Amino acid sequence: MKTIELLSQADIYPAIVAAIVISIMGGALSIFVVLKRLAFIGQGISHAAFGGVGIALVLGVSGATASSQFVQLAIVVAFSVFAALWIAALTRDQQGRTDTAIGVVLSASMALGFILFTFAESRHDHDEHGHAAHGHEDEHHIIEEILFGNILDTNWTSASIAIGAALLILAVVWYIRRQLIFWAFDEPVCDAFGVNSTKITNLFMVILALAVVMAMQIAGVVLAAAMLVLPGAAALNLSTKLRPAFMISIAIGTAGALLGLIIAFEGTYPIGPSIVLTQSVMYLATLIIKKILTTRLPS
Amino acid sequence: MPTHAIELDHVSYTYPSTGIGTSPVAALQDITLQVDQSTKLGILGPNGGGKSTLIKLILGILKPTAGKIHVLGESPAAARKAGLVGYLPQHIQSHRDWPLSVQQVVELGCTSKLKPWQRLSAQDQQAISNAIEFVEMQELIDRPIAALSGGQLQRVMIARAIACQPKLLILDEPTVGVDIAGQQRFGNLINTLHRELDLTIIVVTHDMRAIAAVADRVACLSRTLHFHDSPDGLSPAVLAQVFAHDVAGVFGEIHIDAHRAQDCDDPEHTQTDCGCPHTDQSPTSDGGEQ
Repeated sequence: MKTIELLSQADIYPAIVAAIVISIMGGALSIFVVLKRLAFIGQGISHAAFGGVGIALVLGVSGATASSQFVQLAIVVAFSVFAALWIAALTRDQQGRTDTAIGVVLSASMALGFILFTFAESRHDHDEHGHAAHGHEDEHHIIEEILFGNILDTNWTSASIAIGAALLILAVVWYIRRQLIFWAFDEPVCDAFGVNSTKITNLFMVILALAVVMAMQIAGVVLAAAMLVLPGAAALNLSTKLRPAFMISIAIGTAGALLGLIIAFEGTYPIGPSIVLTQSVMYLATLIIKKILTTRLPS
Repeated sequence: MPTHAIELDHVSYTYPSTGIGTSPVAALQDITLQVDQSTKLGILGPNGGGKSTLIKLILGILKPTAGKIHVLGESPAAARKAGLVGYLPQHIQSHRDWPLSVQQVVELGCTSKLKPWQRLSAQDQQAISNAIEFVEMQELIDRPIAALSGGQLQRVMIARAIACQPKLLILDEPTVGVDIAGQQRFGNLINTLHRELDLTIIVVTHDMRAIAAVADRVACLSRTLHFHDSPDGLSPAVLAQVFAHDVAGVFGEIHIDAHRAQDCDDPEHTQTDCGCPHTDQSPTSDGGEQ
C-alpha cells in the first residue's frame, strides 16, 4: 500500500499531525458556523485570501524561501482578517444580510487578487525578460497551491505554525465559549445580557480568518471552506445535545481527514478534495442514520 | 441602596438617518421619569411611540442623545454588566434548532457574571432552579428547546431573565399574540415574581388589558411622557391624547378586566366568582407542546 510506504518516510508526519490538529479546530468551529447560519463564511474568507496573495506577489514576496513563505503567510493572514472584519461591518450596515456582505467581499477580493497576479506577471515580463516563462510558472503554481493545497510540502516549520495557530484558536474559543454560545444562539438580545455582540462578532470573524488561512496552507481553498461546515452539519444530524455534538463534530472532522488522506495517497488524488469528499460521504451517512433513527425510535 | 430603580433626567433620543432619502427620527423627547424600587410599572403607548427605544436606553444598548439615565444608581451599561437587569425581548428570535436544553438556556442568563474559568456557584445554581420552578418548567428541564411550544419557550426566556437574580425585570410586549386566559395567567406570574423576589418590574405594551392586570404605576409614552401615575388616574382623555384616537370603549373593558384581575389575586376567590380560567392551572401554562 502506498500509504504504508509513505508512513515509513519521516517527512510525511508534519503533514499528518497538522491535518489532525486543523481537523480538530475545524470540528469545533463548524458547530458555531452551522448553527449561526454562516456556512458560506469559509467560502468568503478563503476566496478573499486571493487578494492577500496578490498583494504579496506585487510586493515581491513569492514564498520561494522559508522566510519569504513566512512573510507571504503574514500578508495573507492580515488581508483575510481585514476581509473577515469587512464582512462583519458590512453585515451590520446591511441590517444583518451576511450573504450580501460575503458576496461583496468575496468578489472584490478575488478580482483584486487576479488583477494583482496579472500585474505581477507583467512585471516579470518587463523586469526579467529572459526568465518570463519561469515567473509565470511561479504564479500559476501559487494559484494551484491555494486551490488544492500542498500538504506533502508541509515541513515541521509550517506544521508548527499551523498547529500553534490552531491551539491558539481553540484556547480563545474555550475562553469566550459562554459568550460565543449566547451570541450564536440569540444575538438580538445578547447585548441586553451583558454580552457585547459587536466585540464577539469581530473576534469570531478574526478566528475564522486565521483558521481558514491555516487550513488553506495544508489542503487548499476547497478544504478550508468545507471544514467549517461538514463536520458540524454531520454532528448535528446525530445529536440534540451541545457537548456530544462538539465531540462528534471533532471526531468526524478528524476521521474524515485521515480517511481522505489515505484515499488521496492510494489513488494519487489531490488531498484537499479527497478529504472534502470523504467528509461529504460521512455527512450523507449521518443524514441516513438520522432518518432511520427518527423513523424507528419513538420521540 | 438607591431610592429609585430608574431615573431618567430630560432624556431624548434621535435615531440617525438610515440611508439616502431618510431623515433622523426623534423617537423620544425630554423624558423625565423616576421609578421607585419594587414598583410594577406599565409603559403604555402606540406603535412607534418610543417604548422599545426607552427600553434600549434603560438597558444601555442605546445612549441618549440628551439627558442622563441611572439604573439602580449605576449607569445602564454598568447595571446590566453587573447582572442587575433581566430582560424578556418582544420577539423571541433565538435559533430554535440549537441543541440546548431548558436548563442550559436558563443558565445562559448568568453568562456575563462568570469568568471563563468559573463554574456556577451553589447560590447561582439554586437561583436557576428557583427561576425554572417559578415558570413551572421543572419537569421539562432536560427537554431540548426545539421540542417546546411557543408559550413554553416564553416561560424559559422569563426564567433566563431572572436566573441571574436581577433587581429590575424588563418585559417588552410580553402578551402579544397571547389569548385573554394566557394574559391573565401571565399577570399572575408577574405578581408572583414581584412578591417572591421583590423585583422592580417594567412591562412595556400597547395592550391596555395587560397594564390593568399587572401594573401599580403607568407611564404613557408617545414620543413624550404624557402621564405617569396610578392606573386609576388613567382617563379616556389621556388615552385619546396618547393614542391620538378615541379609545373610550376599550377603556371601559380594561377597567372591568382590572377589577377581575384584583379579584383573582384574592386567595378567597373561586373560579365561579369571575369565570377566570386559571384558578388551578400553572401561571402561564398553555398546555400545548409541539
